[in-house]
Amino acid sequence: MKRDTESKITVEDLLRLKRAERPPPEFWATFESEIRTKQLSAIVSRRPWWDRFSRAFAVVSRHQVAFGAAAALAMAFAGFRYVSGRPEAVRAPQLSAPAPAGAAVVPSAMASIAPAAVGAMARREVAVSARESAPAPLTEATASSSHQAQESAAIAPDSLSKSPFADTVAIKLADFREPASDYARPSVFGSDREFEQPLAPAHQPASEPLARMDPAAERRARLLAPALPAFSSGSPASLAGDWMRQRASSDDRMYESMDRGSGDDRVLVGFRF
Amino acid sequence: MNASKTLDKTLVASPERKLEADADLDVVRQVQAGDVAAFDRLIVKYRERVLGIIYNMTSNREDAADLAQDAFIKAFQSIHRFQGQASFFTWLYRIAVNSTVSHLRKNRLRSFFSLESVREDDPVSRELIDALTDKAGAGRDAFVRELQEKLNDAMQKLSINHRTVVTLFEIDGLSHQEIAEVMDCSVGTVRSRLHYAKQLLQSELQPYLFK
Repeated sequence: MKRDTESKITVEDLLRLKRAERPPPEFWATFESEIRTKQLSAIVSRRPWWDRFSRAFAVVSRHQVAFGAAAALAMAFAGFRYVSGRPEAVRAPQLSAPAPAGAAVVPSAMASIAPAAVGAMARREVAVSARESAPAPLTEATASSSHQAQESAAIAPDSLSKSPFADTVAIKLADFREPASDYARPSVFGSDREFEQPLAPAHQPASEPLARMDPAAERRARLLAPALPAFSSGSPASLAGDWMRQRASSDDRMYESMDRGSGDDRVLVGFRF
Repeated sequence: MNASKTLDKTLVASPERKLEADADLDVVRQVQAGDVAAFDRLIVKYRERVLGIIYNMTSNREDAADLAQDAFIKAFQSIHRFQGQASFFTWLYRIAVNSTVSHLRKNRLRSFFSLESVREDDPVSRELIDALTDKAGAGRDAFVRELQEKLNDAMQKLSINHRTVVTLFEIDGLSHQEIAEVMDCSVGTVRSRLHYAKQLLQSELQPYLFK
């Protein structure tokens, strides 16, 4: 019987013994007087100015995992917006062209552009392309294209998607579905010669080489003319003049041949002085 | 003994605790309204329990007295922020436990025992000591002293979180839910910590079990 009673002692029973560890009653008088003193000193003493910051930091550190996760999400979102915003900026001029029926969604970067500016940009670009191709039939096309561009610019703010990624996917899908759209026409971007225009001013008309000769060079040519072998059969003055004319005509031929290029391969050489 | 323990646990979650919380809230409203003297009633009501928690966590009566006073001062300074969403004793316990945990972490390498004497005026503790010693006289006091040191030594071998759970559950009698609120963790975490802590204590106190 005694054995059974003793065998019931468990960890919980031993821990219950700790409840009996209590201070004597006289301890509480001291405790109360000390707590009064601390209470008064807490009321009188002013907290330092940095105490608010330390308390705020304590709150932050208590939720450091949540704040860290939120910061990581914010950084990831900002990075995604930055990455997705760059292709939109590159694609913006293309989007000003008439949009296909399935591509009503415009990236959010385009939405920040004013509709009037988008329409003007579209009109200017389509007008340039129309100038390069046949003028009469494309006049109507230009008007319709600019009209469509205005429509797309007007519709764009209403049909904006919140996700730039979804916008990009929608635009790519629309491009894929409209292979014969105006984007695919080379006239939108102009012919190859359009890129050669900046080189055209480099071509200057052939000028008389003697006109650019200084008097010293002319005198030297006149003096050296008798020494040439061809001068032995004629008067020196006439021979020198013939040589100069031949040289000038050969220079003209050279310039003209260079200007015309070599035919269909359209090799163009420009001279800059 | 087991029946009384079960009864204690049942009482923790009883409606009496709810009534007690409502009464505390009334006193807190008085303090918030400017009746500073009403806070003394809260101090007198909870000082023994708060001191007991801190003492069983630190095993040092001087530190426990200081930390208990600091906990009441902090509660008094912050009582205007008490909204009544939790019971006052849960809020006060949280302040006391957090102060004690930060104190223990600061003085992790500087801890020594300063034990209170075991008072045998409680019939439960006297019955337990009788069952353990089964004898009276000079040897009894020595055995009680030895057992007390072993108990505190085993408690200090636990981690701070495990020690806090054991103190709040086995010594102070809080429920798992209340401990979870005080320690700001889940009930499952409380149960897990309690189970692990009991296993460690059982291995440490094996010579005193099944005697």
